[in-house]
Amino acid sequence: MTCGIVYDPSYLAHEQSSSHPERRERLSYSLDQLEEEGIFDLPQIKLFLPKPATRDDVLLVHTPEYLKFLEDASINGGIIDSDTYIPRNLIHDALLAAGGAITGADAVLNQEVTNSFVLARPPGHHAGRSHGAGFCYLNNVAIMVRHLQRRGLRRIMILDWDAHHGNGTEEIFYDDPSVLFCSVHQYPFYPGSGRFEDIGIGDGKGYNVNLPIPAGSSDRVYKYLLEEMIIPLADEYMPDAIAISAGQDNHFTDPLTGLALTARGYAELMKEMCILADSICHGRIIAVLEGGYSMEGGLPYTNLGLIAAMAGLDLSAIREPEIYQNLLKESISEDAFPQVVKMISELKKKLAAHWYFIQRY
Amino acid sequence: MFAGIDIGDTNTDIAIIDSQISTYKVPNNEGLNNALKKISPGGRLAISTSQALNEIITGHPADIRTINIPGPGLVYPDAVKGAVSHRGDIIEPIDPEEIKKIMKGQYAKAVAIAGKFSVRNDILEKQVYDIVSHFYSDEQISISSTIGALNFPARIHTTKLNAKIKRKVASLIKKIHKVNPDFYFVTSTGGLISPARVLDNPMLLYHSSPATVANGAYYLSKNDNCLVIDIGGTTTELVPLKNGKPIYETIIIDGLKTLIQAVSATGIPFGGDSCIRTELCPFRAGSSRSFGGSEPTLTDALNVMGARIGDFERSEILDRTSAENAIHKYLDTVASAVRDYQPEILIGTGYLAHYLLSDIAERSNTVGIVPEHAASANAVGAAVSKVSLEVYIHVDTERKRMTLNGMAYPYKETKDDEHLIAYATELVREIAMNEGAPEEDVEDIKVLYFSSFDVVRGWRVSAKITDMILAVAPGISVEAL
Repeated sequence: MTCGIVYDPSYLAHEQSSSHPERRERLSYSLDQLEEEGIFDLPQIKLFLPKPATRDDVLLVHTPEYLKFLEDASINGGIIDSDTYIPRNLIHDALLAAGGAITGADAVLNQEVTNSFVLARPPGHHAGRSHGAGFCYLNNVAIMVRHLQRRGLRRIMILDWDAHHGNGTEEIFYDDPSVLFCSVHQYPFYPGSGRFEDIGIGDGKGYNVNLPIPAGSSDRVYKYLLEEMIIPLADEYMPDAIAISAGQDNHFTDPLTGLALTARGYAELMKEMCILADSICHGRIIAVLEGGYSMEGGLPYTNLGLIAAMAGLDLSAIREPEIYQNLLKESISEDAFPQVVKMISELKKKLAAHWYFIQRY
Repeated sequence: MFAGIDIGDTNTDIAIIDSQISTYKVPNNEGLNNALKKISPGGRLAISTSQALNEIITGHPADIRTINIPGPGLVYPDAVKGAVSHRGDIIEPIDPEEIKKIMKGQYAKAVAIAGKFSVRNDILEKQVYDIVSHFYSDEQISISSTIGALNFPARIHTTKLNAKIKRKVASLIKKIHKVNPDFYFVTSTGGLISPARVLDNPMLLYHSSPATVANGAYYLSKNDNCLVIDIGGTTTELVPLKNGKPIYETIIIDGLKTLIQAVSATGIPFGGDSCIRTELCPFRAGSSRSFGGSEPTLTDALNVMGARIGDFERSEILDRTSAENAIHKYLDTVASAVRDYQPEILIGTGYLAHYLLSDIAERSNTVGIVPEHAASANAVGAAVSKVSLEVYIHVDTERKRMTLNGMAYPYKETKDDEHLIAYATELVREIAMNEGAPEEDVEDIKVLYFSSFDVVRGWRVSAKITDMILAVAPGISVEAL
């Protein structure tokens, strides 16, 4: 397996303000880790520089009015919500992030690599057709998915495992059966949406799958979701490619969220996704960075773990430093697992009319 | 006075530059001491040793024991407990008993110790070093932090190679010290380095001959854009110069990346000592017959065709056709490699340049110049080089930590980036001047890389982390110009 990494030093440039949680420090330690591990020298890894997205690319997803608003506000600065300011020159950074996702998709589609991981900032999954939110401006993954379809792929599965519900992406594809959107997120939590009852509308009904999980959910919960829902969904949907909104704020050290996934858990999750993709869509996975705010204890290890899994490397030493072990114990909630089992059984009832694998049982 | 010595595969070249340039050639079998005695003490002596070390480095894999301290991340062989974070904090301790157990009953010739992120904090490597030093002498142990740069796998590999040659380098230093207490080595980029600093990273001496040739050819010809052809005893090296400087590239050994840069060169496995059996062979089987050897060589072929090199009558054993064929083969091979560079001008160096360069130039449709003293251009290049340094600097204002090539230096509060660069530049300048660099050579300290970011905890900036690379570039010393 060869894994493409899409990265440019300008991905560090975007900052709303120097103390905002979505700041350049987020990626700095991760890049140190990748550099120190010699990742870019490995034959299994290929580095790609992102090309900025064009206006036409953006307009596959967003409204012309919203794009114009971002362009105008990028001249003198502006505001979307209390977490999401528009710093000057934002549009340049936002286009490079969306363009990076497209670069990653093209590298996979052109068979230069098996899969790709886009280390883009700013993130995108809260951005809807005509609005930004929650640190997000352009929906990088949605733009990339539409680009894949423009290049001839028919069905795309999006797995959004960011700790926050990918409400922007959900909105964009809510009535669209050609995109299966599946989001695992902490619930109840920001942005408030993401109930399992929301399964899509019109032709898209049944193709929007929310997997809300409580704080304290651990590796075990994610493994259960994978086996019980995500893999069977993919197996039946038979997508031409899998897009992953790879938020890494599910890590137990993340200061903004309450989930309890480990770096190894992340890596194993990605490994399973790679095996799945191998069996149904030529291994095509395009993962795009979303959130993740545990700069020192989480991101260096989770980012490395994901890349290691995508490149088929040995995962046995992917872990956090031992000093975080107590925090891990405190973060895991024993109540989470039974709650998730219950949620899944209710969700299956809701989705049964749309999916054969549920009806079989 | 500047003196330079290049220990080649056959001869040792000596250049002494004061009011004029004098050069000598001493056969290696007469011993290094003989060569050293030609140089009167008092001046500056620079030694290029690449040939002796290249053989050890590329030779059979020596039994080196590696001890790696990887901590969390990818999987590495020979791993022991312990971890340093990207901030340079000790996050997991080493287990001394584990190291002792490895050392007991250890038959390896040398030990290489490498820890992940040791360039941010070398304490764990040093702790392992202390334990290992109960079993091995300092000259048999290398650590990775002093290499300076991030890239753990490349550091492991470089440290292993360092361990392989450290003892040889240390004994060479002792040998030279006895005759000349004050000298430098030439590095693979053509900079000078003190013996003390060499022991931290002996691989810096690897393959220094293209670098000395580049400096020497430039100094002798003052030609900014050219292709230097150095015709040695066993090889011919092509070294391109652009704007008076060679091109640098990362050295790969055994298919693995090292953290050592070297002057880019194309090596052709033929030189004056290449023996002629049925045809010209890409190896040496002793000296040329004209220098007392038993088998005819390319040099002997030149004698048969009319040159008068050494005891030329001894060359007559070779018939004229074989001699002609051997020379043609040589010229064709070199000219074909030269054409790839499309040079405007060729500068010939090495003792056969006078005999071969004009034919090479003709066959590659270009012009050739053989400057005066070209026969010992490598020694001239060593003599005129300047002290050079490349320093990886990491600064963490919260930890109040500043490391230069993995070594802790006094931390100082600075107002802004500009002041920090000024402070770091001062430190680098001090290091270079302590090695004896004249002030004019360290005036221009270049910032090759700079990156910094704020550390924010509890919604306020709690620290600033900066990474930079500063360099005193290699080249020709202002004093020699």
